[in-house]
Parts: sequence; C-alpha cells; structure tokens
Amino acid sequence: MNGGMPDVESRLERAEIDRSLRGPVLFFFASGVAWLLVGSVLGLLAAWKMVFPGLLDSADWLTFGRVRPAHLDIVIYGCASAVGMGVGIWLMARLCRVALRHRGLLVASGVVWNVGVAAGTVGILCGQSRSIEWLEFPGWATPILFLGYALVGAWGVIMFRYRRPGHVYVSQWYLLAAFLWFPWLYATANVLLIWQPVQGSVVGAVNWWYGHNVLGLWFTPIGLASAYYMIPKVLGRPVHSYYLAIIGFWALALFYSWNGMHHLIGGPFPAWMVSASVVASVMMFVPVIAVAINHHLTMRGHFHYLKWSPTLRFTVFGAMTYTAVSFQGSLMALPAVNNLTHFTDYTVGHAHLGLYGFFTMTMFGAMYYIVPRLVGWEWPSATMIRWHFWLAASGIALMFATLTLGGFVQGLELNDPQSAFMSSLAVAAPFRFVRGLSGILLMAAHLVFAVLFVMMLLRRGERREEATLLARVEDSATARTEPRPPAGGGITAV
Amino acid sequence: MNKLPQLFFGILAVFATSWLGLVVYPYVQLGRLQPERSAKTGTLTPAPLTSSAVAGERVFAANGCVYCHSQQVRPAWLSTDIEKGWGPRQTVARDYLNERPSFLGTMRTGPDLSNIGARQPNVRWHFEHLYEPGVVSPGSIMPSFRFLFVERPVGATPSPDAVAVRGPHQPRSGDEIVPTQDARDLVAYLLSLDRTQPLPEADGTDGAKVEKEAKP
Amino acid sequence: MSEGEPEPPEGEFRDLASPSEIDLPRVHGSILREHREPAEGLGRVPLWFALLMLGLTLWGALYLANRSGGFRADVFNPVAAPTPEGPGDPATLGQRVFLRNCMLCHQFDGRGVPGQYPPLAGSEWVLGEDGHTDQQIAAIVLHGAEGPFNVKGDVFSGAMAPWKALRDDEIAAVLTYVRSSWGNAAPPITAEFVARVREATKDRAEPWSEGELGDLPAPGAANAPANPVEH
Repeated sequence: MNGGMPDVESRLERAEIDRSLRGPVLFFFASGVAWLLVGSVLGLLAAWKMVFPGLLDSADWLTFGRVRPAHLDIVIYGCASAVGMGVGIWLMARLCRVALRHRGLLVASGVVWNVGVAAGTVGILCGQSRSIEWLEFPGWATPILFLGYALVGAWGVIMFRYRRPGHVYVSQWYLLAAFLWFPWLYATANVLLIWQPVQGSVVGAVNWWYGHNVLGLWFTPIGLASAYYMIPKVLGRPVHSYYLAIIGFWALALFYSWNGMHHLIGGPFPAWMVSASVVASVMMFVPVIAVAINHHLTMRGHFHYLKWSPTLRFTVFGAMTYTAVSFQGSLMALPAVNNLTHFTDYTVGHAHLGLYGFFTMTMFGAMYYIVPRLVGWEWPSATMIRWHFWLAASGIALMFATLTLGGFVQGLELNDPQSAFMSSLAVAAPFRFVRGLSGILLMAAHLVFAVLFVMMLLRRGERREEATLLARVEDSATARTEPRPPAGGGITAV
Repeated sequence: MNKLPQLFFGILAVFATSWLGLVVYPYVQLGRLQPERSAKTGTLTPAPLTSSAVAGERVFAANGCVYCHSQQVRPAWLSTDIEKGWGPRQTVARDYLNERPSFLGTMRTGPDLSNIGARQPNVRWHFEHLYEPGVVSPGSIMPSFRFLFVERPVGATPSPDAVAVRGPHQPRSGDEIVPTQDARDLVAYLLSLDRTQPLPEADGTDGAKVEKEAKP
Repeated sequence: MSEGEPEPPEGEFRDLASPSEIDLPRVHGSILREHREPAEGLGRVPLWFALLMLGLTLWGALYLANRSGGFRADVFNPVAAPTPEGPGDPATLGQRVFLRNCMLCHQFDGRGVPGQYPPLAGSEWVLGEDGHTDQQIAAIVLHGAEGPFNVKGDVFSGAMAPWKALRDDEIAAVLTYVRSSWGNAAPPITAEFVARVREATKDRAEPWSEGELGDLPAPGAANAPANPVEH
C-alpha cells in the first residue's frame, strides 16, 4: 500500500485539488502570517511592560490590561485559527480527494474573519474588552467571526460528505470533529457569557469550558491531523497503529472536553465539578500516550530525516511538545501541584508551550509542506529556514524554562503566610526579564518566516527543481552508511 | 470508522456529555441562586451594588484588571489563602451573584481583590494608588492609571477629592489632579468587594468558625 | 481512476479534468516527488498501555466517588478543612488581621511609607511612650485618624479608615501583634479593654485628629477605661 510511488493519475488528481485550493488556503496563510507579526509585537509589548511598568503607560489604549488580551485574541483568532483553517481545508480536500468549488466564497469568508478580528481588537484597545479570557472581543464583533467561520466549517463538512469512497484516514476524523466542535463552543460561550450572561460564578465555569476546549477541541485536533498526515507522508511509511489512533481520538473527545474546571481549582464551585475536571485531566494520559506511541513508532529508525526536512523538523518538534505539555498539564491538575502553580507565571509558561510549542510549530511544519504545492515554487533559502527553526525553538524553550522556574519560586512566595506579597514580585522579576528576551527571539523568528513567505508568494529567489532541504544529503554521515534513497522518493519527498 | 453518520453522531454525542455536565447542569444547579438574608439584621449577603459600582465593573473589565488580580479565596484544605489574609473564609458561588461577569481571575501578579473593600476602605488611598501604584506600594509593577484622572486648574479652594500626587507625574503649579467619573466608579466597585460576611455553605477557619445561620 | 475502482458518483465537488487534458510536465515537481497519501498500519495496542488505561480508569472512578461531595451544589470542599488551632488563637489571629487590613498601608514589616503612613516599628504611639496611652491606639483602630500626625520625629498626612467593623478580639489581637513585632516590646491589649474603649467612644463618628487624641483621659481617671495589665 505504501512504499511504492503513486501512479500518474493520482498525482494529477492531487495537482488539480491543490490548484483549486490555491486562493483560499494562501489567503488564510497570508492572514495568519500578518496577524502573527501584529500579535508578536503586542506580546512583546505586554512582556516588557511587566518588566518596565512605566513603558508607554500614559495612553489608555496601550495599558497592559488591554494590550495583553489584544495579544491573546489576535494570536488565537487572527493567527492560529486562520492558519489552522487553511491547513484544515487543504488536508480535508487532499484526503477526501475532492477539489474545492466556489473558492471565491471561501476567500470572502476569510475576509470576513479578518474584519472580525480587526474590529474586535480595536474594540479591546478602545476599552470595550469583556475581560473574559479567550473571549474578550466585544459582543458586536463576535457575530462577524461566527459568520466568517460558518462557510469554512460548512465546506469542511461538505467535502467530507462528498469524499471519494474508500478508507477514511485518522486526520479526517480529527478535522471533521474540529469543524463541528468549534461552532458549538463559540455559540454557547457567546450566548451564555456575552449576549445573555449567566449570573455569578457560573460565568467562570462556562468561560473555562470554552477556553480550554478551544485549545483541546479546535487547535489540538487540527494540529494532530496535520502531524498524522505530515509524518507518514514525508517518510512514505504508514502510521504505526490504526487501533491506537482510534483510542487516541475517542479518548481525546471524551476527556478533553471535561478539563475546563482545572483552571479554577479551589474556586467557588461545587466539589464535584472540580473533581470531575481533575479526573478528566489525568485521564488525558490515555489519548496523549496513544498518539505519542503512534508517532514515535512511525518515526522510529528514521529520525535522521529531521536533518533534512523542514516539514518534519517543525512537525516532530510540535508533536513531541504536545506529549510533554500534556503530561505537564495532567500533573498541574492535581490539587497538590495546583496549589503551587495556580495564579503564577508557571501557568503562562504551560500555555505558551502548548499553543506555540505544539500548535504553532506544527502549523509551520504544515505550511512548509503545503505552500510549495500551492504556489509552484520551492522555498528560496534553506539558511533562512534554519534560522527560523532555531530562533523559534530556542525562543519557546527559553520562554518555557524561565516562566516555569520563575512561576515555581513565585508560587513558593505566594503560598508562604510569613512572606509579604511583594516578595513574590521580587523573586519573579529576573525571570520575567528573561521572558522578555525570549520574546525577542520569537519576534525575530516570525520576521524571518514572514520574509520567506512573501518571497514564496512573489516567487523570488533562485528557481529550484528539487525540494529545499536543510542539509545536503551527500554530506550526512548517515547517507554514507545507508544506501541512497531512490531518486524521486525518500528524503526528497518533502 | 468510515461512515459520516457514525462519526457525526459520535463526535457530537461525546462532546454533548461535557456540554451537559459542565455547562447546562451547573447552570441549573447554580444559575438561580439567591442572596442570603440575615435573620438578625435583614441584610443581604452579598449586598446589592450601587449604580456607581455597577458602572465601575465596566471600567474594571475595560482595563483588564483581572489579568493580574484574582478574586477567589481558596479553602484551607488546599491553600494558605486564608492564613495569608486574603479573606476570613473561602469564597463560594453566591459571593459572585452581583457581578456580570464575575472576575474570578487566574493570575496573582497583583494581590487578590476578593475582600479589598474590607481590607482597604480608604477612598483616597485607592485614588492615589491608581494614579501612581509604584509610589504608594513600593515594588509594585502595576501600571499607572493616570488616564483615569484629569489635571485642571485649582479653583478658589482645592477639590475635596483632589489626589495627593507623589512621584514623577506632578501637576503643573496651580493645577490639581481630580478623578474622572470612571475612576470614581472603579473605586466604588473596588470598595464593594467584601466577602467577609458569613455564608452557611462556606467553611471558615479563621479561628472562630463561621456562624452557620439556620436556613429559612 | 486507479486500481479498477468503480466510477465515483457525480456530485458538487467532483469536477476533475480528465487526465489527458493536463500537461504532465507543467504539474509541479513537488507533486511528482510525493509519496502516496498516508494510511494506518495495524500495529497492536501494547499490553502496558492497556494496563495503564485500566489503572487510570480505576483511579479516576475512586477519586470521583470520594471527592465529589455527593454531587451537591452546596458542598464546595471535597475534603474537610483542617481543624483550627483553637478558638481564636490570638497570635495567629493578630497576624492574620494585620496582613489582611493593616499591611497595605503600614507595610509588611511595619515601616510605613515616608510622609504618608507612619511606621509601627519603634513608634512611641505603639509602645505607649512619651505620654501615649493604650486607649489612644485602641481608639485610632476603632475610629480612624486624619490630619497630620507626628511619629518618630516625622510628620505623616495620610488618612486612616475606621476599623470598628472588626471584632474586639480581632482588634486586641492585632494591637498585641503590632506591640510584639519588629523589635517592639510592649504589654498586650485585651479584648475587654477594647470593648471598654469602644463603649466610651461609641458616639464618635469622625476619625481622630492628633490633638483630639491628646485630650483622651489618661489611664487612672475615674471614667477612663483601664488596661488591666499594668505597665
């Protein structure tokens, strides 16, 4: 089934599918990259305001309490969701083997989505933030986003409905699920938190049911769908186990959605709600380990491909981070651990490791694969790809390390009844400074990628006939000891 | 798993369990709670907010105070919140009846505010702190909210609520700093944050056990 | 189209051009070099993983059974709170009251803020020196203070809110705590004493000024409340 090269007709079919996806997917990618730059600037500003509180503090629209939610909403809706929708549509079309029709409508959806994000951001900066985490856009902006999503989600489901007959691959389950879960989440949250707000602490329950599920049932499935596609696709090997894939999918669906209350352990909620979330959070070991076994055993014996393939490097970084951050999250949900980490920078480190270290890096990997197929051009500079990878990887690693250590000592101070509150600020300060430095690394990574992306759209740089690889195959020690893969396959199939 | 109806149903049904469990059922259990009326004095806990405090909630939301300040006192079996002095007892669902939305918060970059109205009832302190937090609270990284104040010439006599400014942002000579309505509303809201009154469902461990008033 | 599959049905999303109409060399090289679309193998579920799933499920069921408070809406704590040290252990109570209420202005170590909030460490008011009395500090805590105050040779012009909402034992505990912290050593204040001061000043509606506090009767006068513990 795998191993041999596909025949001509199926390659032509894929070319036709890619041709039909070109406009909408590139539009979503371009939107995502643009918002990534804006979101990174705001994130950098928020981080440095915590080190220098007097930084740009005279204007009301730049106060930390507005910049920080603007950063969050831009990166999750403007950047991550846009790129996620682009990757999701491309993957669904490829795997269902259907070409995209009425693509103008999908581009229009993307425009509407961008208008919603821009309007919502302006609303936040102008003082209309709802201060409900992950849902700060004012009530008049959220219907715009909903409208922008509607066609994308509908297209994803309809493509699945009209798929070519044959086996349904694991990525398709995840994508179908994501396209169905997101509108339900978004509608419930908007109704119960913004349009007809519930009273009292129920707001917190609905808020974190929504916030955690956007991460777990919108971003995670898209990220996993991409990893499940890219890893076996680039290697030319099957994913290890269909059965583990099934367990991973249904366990994710069942347990992830019950996690929300672990953001509120000790909060004003009945004990059963918090305990249910603690149990569900620990049960997450099941789907996470299932996916980790699958990816690892698919990669086993082929880790040297990470030297060459940008797609694989970013995707495997993301997939490994997914395992690590999920393990960390399951442990953070235990009350004994949560006592120390709650309310500290530790949580911020965890959140960034998940959304950036897992999802964003996986999406970069997907874009490195998809964009050449849409524009008909190869990435113009392997050096720049390497810079992008190392700046991003070191940036997120540094951010995670400093916030985790800093949060830990901050938590010790916060919990000590003999200690003044101010001492928690004093111990956290040097770690927050280093976090600001890590943000500079990430900003640089994004600038490099943005330049690469624009060069691809404009087809700049030297024309290449082969894939852009991160190292020359002849120079690698492995190539000397292993037979060269056949031309047209193997590591050049990136 | 090759069929759309099978997948469709499974995806939605599994998700529906959490929607029912963490959204609908809590809405039923907690969504219609009423304040506690004291048998002795007839006062309500929580007390209703003044209109200024309700307006102050909007200012609190608009400026993202919740991103640094939590409003939850965790119980003694889990944390040292009560010992640390954030409040005499844990906060429970009914403590947030008057807030839409409730600002539970997830960060303590700054102190917990559950009982700030009881811990710091001094209005002048709040205005001075909002204007220049780093001076009033040495070591604070809270940004200055001086955009919630206006500088204007002193009239015949200084305004009674003119802010005694200390620190780098002094007014020009002959001017005074007075709070805008937003600042007044915000402080009214902060002063309303008081969860020290006992509630039967909340355990307190502040030496004296919280009185459990008989349910009517 | 491939491997003898039946012709796919007509539908909205199926308008692929016939292969012969596409010029193969113009199809991008990246498509030509791709592997087939991915598929799943049939690897078995490892035994250790199956056991792990079972173990976690058992743990989860037990946790839920024991820590859900009967799934009631008014049970907020899955386990009982630890029993307090004793009814109102004064030392802890005093520190707690201080941290909750006084620390914001007088600071954690009692040093105050220059020009604004007076220090409590080494303060003659706290220690009862230079003619200052116990009922002065009890009265200040009950009704607040305003206007310039002289403390340790400096002038302070912040305002202090009244704390009469605190219980007598809480006020006594915090005064005792302040009197025995940061190098201070002065006799404790009792709850009965605070109650007597409260009763004697019950008509007071305004915060005290420094001068008014000087007019409070000295201990020993007929109608003055006296701290039972002698200096």
